[in-house]
Amino acid sequence: MAASTPLDPFLRGSTSKNTRGLLRIIILCTIAAAAVSARLFSVIRFESIIHEFDPWFNFRATKYLVKNGFYSFWDWFDDRTWHPLGRVTGGTLYPGLMVTSGVIYHILRLLSLPVDIRNICVLLAPGFSGFTALAMYLLTSEMSSSPSAGLLAAAFMGISPGYISRSVAGSYDNEAIAIFLLVFTFFLWIKAVKNGSIMWGALAALFYGYMVSAWGGYVFITNLIPLHAFTLILMGRYSSRLYISYTTWYALGTLASMQVPFVGFLPVRSSDHMAALGVFGLLQLVAFFNFLRDQLPGKQFQTLLVALGGTIVVIMFLGLVALTASGVIAPWSGRFYSLWDTGYAKIHIPIIASVSEHQPTAWPAFFFDLNMLIWLFPAGVYLCFRNLKDEHVFVVLYAVLASYFAGVMVRLMLTLTPVVCCAAGLALSYILDTYLYAQKPVEESASSDSNGSIKASKFSANSALRSTRNSIVGIYSVVSKSVITSMVTGFLLLYVAHCTWVTSNAYSSPSVVLASRLPDGSQHIIDDYREAYYWLRQNTPSDARVMSWWDYGYQIGGMADRPTLVDNNTWNNTHIATVGKAMSSREEVSYPILREHDVDYVLVVFGGLLGYSGDDINKFLWMVRIAEGIWPDEVRERDFFTARGEYRVDDQATPAMKNSLMYKMSYYNYNSLFPAGQAQDRVRGSSLPAQGPELSILEEAFTSENWIIRIYKVKDLDNVGRDHQSAVSFDKGHKKKRKPGAKKGVRVLREE
Amino acid sequence: MRFSSVVSAVFGLCFHTSLSSAQQSNLTTPELTQRILTGDFKPAPVFENTNLVRTINLEKGYVRETTNVLVTNTDKNPQSEYYIPFDYDLVGKIGGFDARDKKHAERGPLEVTIGTLAGVSDAKEPSSSKSTQYYIIHLTEPLPPKGAVTLSISYHILEALRPLPASIKQEEKQYLTYYFSAYVPTVYPTIKQKTKVKFPSSDVPEYTTTSGLTSAADPEKQGSSFSYGPYDTAKVPPGTVYPVTVRYEFNKPLLVCSVLERDVEVSHWGGNLATEERYWLRHDGARLANQFSRVAWSTQNFYINAGQMTTSALRELKVPLKPGSVDAYFTDEIGNVSTSRFRPNNVREASLELRPRYPLFGGWNYTFRIGWNNDLSSSLRKLQTPADTYILAVPLVEGPKNPEGIQYEKLVFRVILPEGATNVKYQTHGGTGVPTLQAEHGLHKTFMDTLGRTVLTLTATNVVDEARDVTVLVTYEYTFFAALRKPLTIFAGVAGVFVLAYLVGSIDTSIGKKQK
Repeated sequence: MAASTPLDPFLRGSTSKNTRGLLRIIILCTIAAAAVSARLFSVIRFESIIHEFDPWFNFRATKYLVKNGFYSFWDWFDDRTWHPLGRVTGGTLYPGLMVTSGVIYHILRLLSLPVDIRNICVLLAPGFSGFTALAMYLLTSEMSSSPSAGLLAAAFMGISPGYISRSVAGSYDNEAIAIFLLVFTFFLWIKAVKNGSIMWGALAALFYGYMVSAWGGYVFITNLIPLHAFTLILMGRYSSRLYISYTTWYALGTLASMQVPFVGFLPVRSSDHMAALGVFGLLQLVAFFNFLRDQLPGKQFQTLLVALGGTIVVIMFLGLVALTASGVIAPWSGRFYSLWDTGYAKIHIPIIASVSEHQPTAWPAFFFDLNMLIWLFPAGVYLCFRNLKDEHVFVVLYAVLASYFAGVMVRLMLTLTPVVCCAAGLALSYILDTYLYAQKPVEESASSDSNGSIKASKFSANSALRSTRNSIVGIYSVVSKSVITSMVTGFLLLYVAHCTWVTSNAYSSPSVVLASRLPDGSQHIIDDYREAYYWLRQNTPSDARVMSWWDYGYQIGGMADRPTLVDNNTWNNTHIATVGKAMSSREEVSYPILREHDVDYVLVVFGGLLGYSGDDINKFLWMVRIAEGIWPDEVRERDFFTARGEYRVDDQATPAMKNSLMYKMSYYNYNSLFPAGQAQDRVRGSSLPAQGPELSILEEAFTSENWIIRIYKVKDLDNVGRDHQSAVSFDKGHKKKRKPGAKKGVRVLREE
Repeated sequence: MRFSSVVSAVFGLCFHTSLSSAQQSNLTTPELTQRILTGDFKPAPVFENTNLVRTINLEKGYVRETTNVLVTNTDKNPQSEYYIPFDYDLVGKIGGFDARDKKHAERGPLEVTIGTLAGVSDAKEPSSSKSTQYYIIHLTEPLPPKGAVTLSISYHILEALRPLPASIKQEEKQYLTYYFSAYVPTVYPTIKQKTKVKFPSSDVPEYTTTSGLTSAADPEKQGSSFSYGPYDTAKVPPGTVYPVTVRYEFNKPLLVCSVLERDVEVSHWGGNLATEERYWLRHDGARLANQFSRVAWSTQNFYINAGQMTTSALRELKVPLKPGSVDAYFTDEIGNVSTSRFRPNNVREASLELRPRYPLFGGWNYTFRIGWNNDLSSSLRKLQTPADTYILAVPLVEGPKNPEGIQYEKLVFRVILPEGATNVKYQTHGGTGVPTLQAEHGLHKTFMDTLGRTVLTLTATNVVDEARDVTVLVTYEYTFFAALRKPLTIFAGVAGVFVLAYLVGSIDTSIGKKQK
């Protein structure tokens, strides 16, 4: 106590408010700094590099924006993707992320800090995660009177793996800024509802518009806020505050969202957005009837309510049905259905199902991504029920919806994380406040226990025992306080340790660069992707078309700077299926497809030498499935399984498998790396046939150091007009087996 | 984005130059050292080459010709201008021209100008005939009649070597050919002459055997060097050509940089000299007849590492750096190249070992950049007089050092001096064959600059890696107040932000009346 005496002037009286305010700012800044630095593992371990797949497109688009200016970015028609279709990129992307980086880039230049655009892109996500922590502080502070709830929630948000997974340095994806915008929009919405203020409502609309421009997940806000309003109306909590804030938000927010070309008229034409419109209409009705109720006697009002209200609702509903049926309003999208039926995508949209982040969440993932928050979360939601104000209703709704969605799709764990952090902050601050602030009761019969702890009142009520009267037990005792505090501290420390461990081990790999350890423990970097991409970039004509599975489309566009056939923007299922068909068919079938699409190089990823499991043979079944979706007669998934239903690449592989272009490209020449008959695939753990596959329509152009990337050049038509197979066998000195005229229904493209 | 815009700009440039270098580079030589010759100019035959020995060195990826000639004045008047002719196609590939008086070698190189025919230099009306161009050597003292002087003339020729066969298999050896004339091209009568050719190895499968020029067997072979001549050519008219072709093994990469951009940045506050070099490297040797085979390359690598085999592909570049170099990096357009190794050394040369992402075969390109930092005190000195004047000594070219040499078609060397440096002057020191430098002064605006840093840009064409012996000395004035500019600017900026924040915070934005 003596030590605190000099601090007393700062902790008491009027200065105490300033001191605490300053302290809070310092804590928040520290949290933001921790959030940023927790995400820098990959930069420190590897380098400042863009990660994975989608970020490479965003990076490329940002470079285009910075180089050519905003308007040409808006009108950007990209002829280097989806060859020969091209892509109206400016109208089919969410520009928020690129524009944000572009603005930061230009501001920094204005301050004569010419930071490289790549570094801005790499560090954007960590930077915004700092802001997310601040926004979470603001949001949670609205929920609780306790000052610690917000700080705890901010700290949780800052380092929660569920959010870090999509926001490490280098993961330059829409989510990088979208989660900040999500949390901040919710904060502004809560503020608007609480104050009934047009200003806060307009700000919420503004940030909602920003969110729309940044991420397709804005639909979550578009439905959650109307749901909140709707629930409040049902609970009989209609108020002018709600009316003002909702109408302001809806009108301005919808206008703002329509400014994004990719969204355009969706807010008035798609089913996903109809809930917001419906609640907007409902609010008008409710307001109108509220007005009428003040003007009319009760009986008449009842009649009018039933008659008029019923008519209007029925007319509107019928109108909606009619518009949907006539096609003015788009029906629910496939992605929406897959949210309710987890098996839907696998049957109807195999492309969506083939993405690993669209799989249902495994339950350990919740603990992995949220650690102790997952058990604090229900407690926090319960606390919201205890003093159920308007804003608490919001948290409850958010919690219910987000928990469901997170269970359906792995990537939606991202939307769950904010509400979990908020609820956990509320719960933990409640526990801490209860135990730390509990004042020792001054009088023996302190039955008016302000903290409402049942335990405590029991002990104090039991005044018969003298021993208990003097020695304080229960929550007032130092022992219980210290036990609880140390337990909570222990949990918090464990949480930090867990988050750091998860971030460091699971979420900090750029996936472009693979790291391994040499026998002496030093790091060895496997850089095959960039080796091959850079080879393409430097040694092929700048318009050489590269065909690969769509996963690598963005990387080829970004790193190799070559036109691709398909990429990660999977808008054209048929085109992807065409590539799938070319990969999964025999050479004679594939060659016309390659020629028709002007393919110069084919790129495959092969992990057999190194044991890299994310290779194309393992993804091959998805190519087959997607191709089968369009050409069920020509490509059949069943043909790629043996009679016993096994997926094999060795001697017993099915003929369809062995003759497929993908199989041939993967294992071409692989045999010669091993002594005869001992070729081994280290991913599938199987020994390969003694006789390697032969390729006649392609020639090997480049293979990276560890064979991860193999690039093949498509041969031109034969000079003498033979088909490639006979040309190859002629070169090998084999006799001609068939008469040239007797073709057995083999389709070979001839160009005159 | 600065880098990639530079990249694209320079890419455009280098494509341009590589396509048209033969036609244009003779026009890009600085005008100051050019003399415009009119009409069908012919130098007056006032000299006589009494004895001439030419050495053609083919040990590297470019040709170095050294001519030692005893020149006698046959005119009645003292003469001081000695002309050396070059073919129109050749003159754009000549670099590092160096002429010295052998007896007074310590005086340094003689003054040299380039004589261009008016019709050629005028780009609008290119002359129909591709006329001969001249290098003119100015003797320090005019040579009196009957007087003699021994000149040592040397220069290198870039991109004069051609692989034959033009495409080879991955494990085959690479052979180069070189064409020259057994008679040294000259405008003066030559009494006696001889040409020595030095090859990298004794494997010379094909060469021209002359007939009727001399009584002995011609050429005369001695290990890896041949000698053509001596010939008595008193009666042969000057300018006669006797074509000779040699084809020899050169199983090493033939490295050409279409552009080398080299930045040296001086920081007085940091006491740091930062160097960054950007290379647009290509391999001009024999292309691969088939496509690249990784299996064959793995086997080849095994034998190469065991020293039993050589390859024409580029596997590794070694860059020797000054002692005490730190923070070396090796990146390309898509990020760090992890296959490099930096061995710092404070006493002897530090070494940066670069392995490109893929082995570089004939016809392949590799664009990259490297950089490192040095302590400024090792290359900067403050002069006693005049006050506030510094002198900076940096090599004209650093970069990879390898036995096969590297040729740079274009070198852009930027010396970035601190903000506020004035009165910038430069001169070169040491080395032979100093390339003709074209200087340009400008400003470079980068981190926290208000005015921009003073930049001296030196441009040269046809440089080879031997230019690493040339030191550029830059003197400039940099006052104490100029040094204080940056901290003061930052202070003012931060103070401005605080004042602004205070003013914004004190604005009352509430609409309603204030409640008191």
